[in-house]
Amino acid sequence: MARTGRQRGGRGLAAVLAVAVLAGACSGGEDVDVDGEGGGDGGEGGSAGGTLIAAISAEPDQFDPHKTQAYASFQVLENVYDTLVVPDAEGEFQPSLATEWTTSDDGLTWTFTLREGVTFHDGSEFDSADVVYSYNRIIDEQLANAFRFASVADVQAPDPQTVVITLSEPTPALLSNIGGFKGMSIIPEGAADEYDLATEAVGTGPFTFESSAAGGVTLAAYDDYWGDAPSIDGVEFQYISEPTAALTALRSGDVHWTDNVPPQDVESLADDDQVELGTTPSVDYWYMAMNQAKPPFDNRDFRRGVAFGIDRAAVTEAAKFGAATVNQTAIPEQSFWYHEYAPFEHDPAQATDLIESAGAATPVQMGLMVTDEYPETIQAAQVIQANLAEVGVEVNIEQEDFGTWLDRQSQGDYDAFMLGWLGNLDPFGFYHAQHVCEGTSNFHSYCNPEVDDLLGQAATETDRDARKALYDQAAELIADDVSYLYLYNPDVVQAWAPGLEGYEVRADKAINFESVRLPE
Amino acid sequence: MTGYVLRRLWQSAVVLLGVSVLVFAIMQLVPGDPIRLALGTRFDPDTYEALRARSGLDDSVPVQYVNWITSALTGDLGVSFRSGETVTSLIIERLPATLSLAGGAILVAILIAVPLGTLSALRPRSPVDWFATLSSQAGLSVPDFWLGIMFILIFAGTLGWLPSAGYTPLFEDPLGWAQHLLLPAVTAGVGSGSILTRFVRSSVLEAIGQDHVRTARAKGMRAGDVLRWHVLRNALVPFVTVGGVQLAYLLSGVVIVEYVFAYQGLGQLAFQAVQSRDYPVLQGAVLLFAVIFLVINLIVDLTYARLDPRISYRSSR
Amino acid sequence: MSIEESAETPPVTRQHRPRWLETLTLLARNPLAIAAVVVLAGLVFAALLAESIVPRDDIFTPDIANRLQAPSGEHWFGTDELGRDVFARVLAGAEVSLRVGAVAVGISLTAGVVVGLLAGYFGRWVDDTLMRVMDVLFAFPALLMAIAVLAILGAGSTNAMIAIGIVYTPIFARITRASVLSVREEVYVRAARSAGAGNVRIIVRHVLPNVTAPIIVQTSISLAFAILSEAALSFVGLGTQPPDPSWGRMLSEGRGFIEQAWWMAVFPGAAIFVTVLAFNVLGDALRDVLDPRQRSAMKGVGA
Repeated sequence: MARTGRQRGGRGLAAVLAVAVLAGACSGGEDVDVDGEGGGDGGEGGSAGGTLIAAISAEPDQFDPHKTQAYASFQVLENVYDTLVVPDAEGEFQPSLATEWTTSDDGLTWTFTLREGVTFHDGSEFDSADVVYSYNRIIDEQLANAFRFASVADVQAPDPQTVVITLSEPTPALLSNIGGFKGMSIIPEGAADEYDLATEAVGTGPFTFESSAAGGVTLAAYDDYWGDAPSIDGVEFQYISEPTAALTALRSGDVHWTDNVPPQDVESLADDDQVELGTTPSVDYWYMAMNQAKPPFDNRDFRRGVAFGIDRAAVTEAAKFGAATVNQTAIPEQSFWYHEYAPFEHDPAQATDLIESAGAATPVQMGLMVTDEYPETIQAAQVIQANLAEVGVEVNIEQEDFGTWLDRQSQGDYDAFMLGWLGNLDPFGFYHAQHVCEGTSNFHSYCNPEVDDLLGQAATETDRDARKALYDQAAELIADDVSYLYLYNPDVVQAWAPGLEGYEVRADKAINFESVRLPE
Repeated sequence: MTGYVLRRLWQSAVVLLGVSVLVFAIMQLVPGDPIRLALGTRFDPDTYEALRARSGLDDSVPVQYVNWITSALTGDLGVSFRSGETVTSLIIERLPATLSLAGGAILVAILIAVPLGTLSALRPRSPVDWFATLSSQAGLSVPDFWLGIMFILIFAGTLGWLPSAGYTPLFEDPLGWAQHLLLPAVTAGVGSGSILTRFVRSSVLEAIGQDHVRTARAKGMRAGDVLRWHVLRNALVPFVTVGGVQLAYLLSGVVIVEYVFAYQGLGQLAFQAVQSRDYPVLQGAVLLFAVIFLVINLIVDLTYARLDPRISYRSSR
Repeated sequence: MSIEESAETPPVTRQHRPRWLETLTLLARNPLAIAAVVVLAGLVFAALLAESIVPRDDIFTPDIANRLQAPSGEHWFGTDELGRDVFARVLAGAEVSLRVGAVAVGISLTAGVVVGLLAGYFGRWVDDTLMRVMDVLFAFPALLMAIAVLAILGAGSTNAMIAIGIVYTPIFARITRASVLSVREEVYVRAARSAGAGNVRIIVRHVLPNVTAPIIVQTSISLAFAILSEAALSFVGLGTQPPDPSWGRMLSEGRGFIEQAWWMAVFPGAAIFVTVLAFNVLGDALRDVLDPRQRSAMKGVGA
């Protein structure tokens, strides 16, 4: 590829230029401001530079952003790649590689203006051809995220700084689809042939991907980064699956940051002055679903009986030790899309009545499929089991490894299961495929034409408030029908060394070390 | 002797072929598939079908097996579904960790077994002997995963002397390597050490009773020399045998110990491969384990012949 | 492999007293063996009666308000992360461990002895075929094999019995075969053959009784290993299903609470240790009595 020929000649100059460009670009007032608070860049003793060591609980499977679906991979890739737009802490989309965008009146044409002066880590310049290449790679090769382009008819690059996306129907969720997470990263044109993207990474982000070994990954600050260059020299991710080990390492100063904080430790860590604790409600939700292709779970009254029979507060406390918020709908209060609706109280008497009225012989046997991939489902299931035993439902907990679990789920070979949806930003992503009759993630055979209708309208409604009103109606039906029996929104819990500055815990669990400064 | 070696090699090849068929069959029978796992819950059927077709998983089972075994014979073990890396490079990446752990554990085992076994044999029915017998029983009975957790609780948690998890390559950071290795090696070594202790004790006992040892003693040879030259040399035979079997066991992935200490060795690799339905990785790892097992057993048996010429090979098997 | 060469069993000689009585008398002289038997009897007692000794609710029903209580007069071993009584669960766990262990060893004993008898008695291609199959199973790392079998059959204690049973079959086959080889050409077997006895009759009447000693010893040792294996499989989430109390599962749950609640991991682990130790000690004592020449020979392979 020709682009490797362009070298980075004059590192210092390039850095100066990058800063200059950035100053212009930042005039819109977006983005986190580091320089404002810390007292300048001029290395004040130990606070500038240094390598941040981050302990993450799981091991990435691979590093190709378009192929992996593993959160652990995205923890690393978040710092290496960029998308056209990026959600801020509130979930609103802000400029990233695109500085601005316009939508045509019919909502079918989106025009993105790209940031100038951005270079990839291999020195090549970023332009619209890279965007077209990245998106077409996902679409043409039918990679994991191809479904996010379902309504995209065409991606064009009329000039190097402009990308035009043409849609087959209005898609208000487009920004979330292309910027919600780093699975939609922009890679340099031809990168899939030039690099082994499973083990290497070439992005435009604040850090370059240096090396990967069995125990972790090393990143280095990218001097030519288009934003504020990181003040630290690099990041070393270590995979520490054992929470005790991660916390020990944090206390002893061997690591600076970890996400491996089990909920049961939150209380004690809050008073621990060797550790700084950060928590915020996440946009994840955990739920139970009953297989509506099977009696008696196809009976709405039966499901409502179960919904009245479960003590959500006890389930949540058992699973998350207070580090979660009970919720009867999907999304937490902090989100724009939150809708206050809680029709079910824990009421064993009403539950028994409903379950008996459903006509099945009690005790009803119900297998509840859980997985050790998510141990909180096992904890929660044992409380659900005890709750439902009181209302005439005998729960058999079926713990499967995740491979078998998924297999049984897609074959409909289960009575009920418990799982979570993670990283929910736009309601299209967490309502549509799950609850429309033919939805690809509707594994529990829920079908309510009214819900289909509302979700269908909401998917193409471009007025945000009108759209929210549609989703609110749908959310009530989904809760009333017990399509999903929503349980709780867990907190994001992360911990770091006292004195570490510039880090922000985010509801979408994106982990960004761009503005971090190490403690002295 | 040559005939015997050839026969053993032939048998090993047959066993290896059997292992390859077995591991392949197991992965076919396990429900779930790697594509679905990689995509997770949020997936779309078209994507799934496209990826599946590309992965070769839609071929018939015999075709898949023949494809795999022919590549394997040329040294190509395929590519991991999970990480996209070649199986060979994944194994090579993990090999140093497993070699360190197996080596460390065998060292711990020998450090336990030789002194304890010899002392107890030299003073049968003494308190030392009782202690050795009981502690080897205890070492054999303690669950390694429990021992590991207790070590973590005490040495990493309460005392904070050692890291509780992970692996650091030797050449990057020798001190870190040793620190990370110590707890897992002791945990894995205790069981093997207990087994070895009993063998050392019984072989030393047997050797002491033999004529040439009595003769040497009668000739006035110093006790230490008798021990060194006659007793221990004769005790070496069963020691090598059992030590070899233990080494093979430790090399073929100490799954649980690696799991407890989050130690990135081959055992973890194989365990994760089962869980993520990463067929090529599991097949490669198990094949390697089988090769290690068969080679070490062959070496042990041949060494046995070398050290103890009384053994003939006509009747074996 | 080489270890089998040392396995030789003295033929049964006719004695005045029944052999089992003599064995028991000899065993009773060994204080360690008595201690082991007492411990095991206590465990069987706990296994059978756990649910009448402690309330069922203590074993199964979550009580979140009382979670993670330290050991006290009310909860001798403390409470777990769901507020259940750890003592009650350890007691009830004896049943799971012993049942899984016994059935698993029953499976490997039956399968292994049949294979070993056939291989050893018929020799030639029967021997070659059967023993190569056993070698294949043996070359597969034991725990990984059990994990793979459970991945096929699905997690659960019944399937764990099958998985462990398969894993320990080769060792019984080898021991039996080695013993059969040593008695096959004994005078009494030849005599029976020349008297026109059929193969089945010879095997059942003459071969089997003379190879029992090493098998009995191995059974006791295998019980120890099977209980360890069940605990290990439950530890990685593949054995006994929640909310049933299994020592291995309790231990793995306790691992996540090691800083707040050491008792969750310490007591179930101690229970496994004591049980396995008792079986190992008993196995050793049996060996001393039944089969003194084979001391420790097979132990090196079992782990």
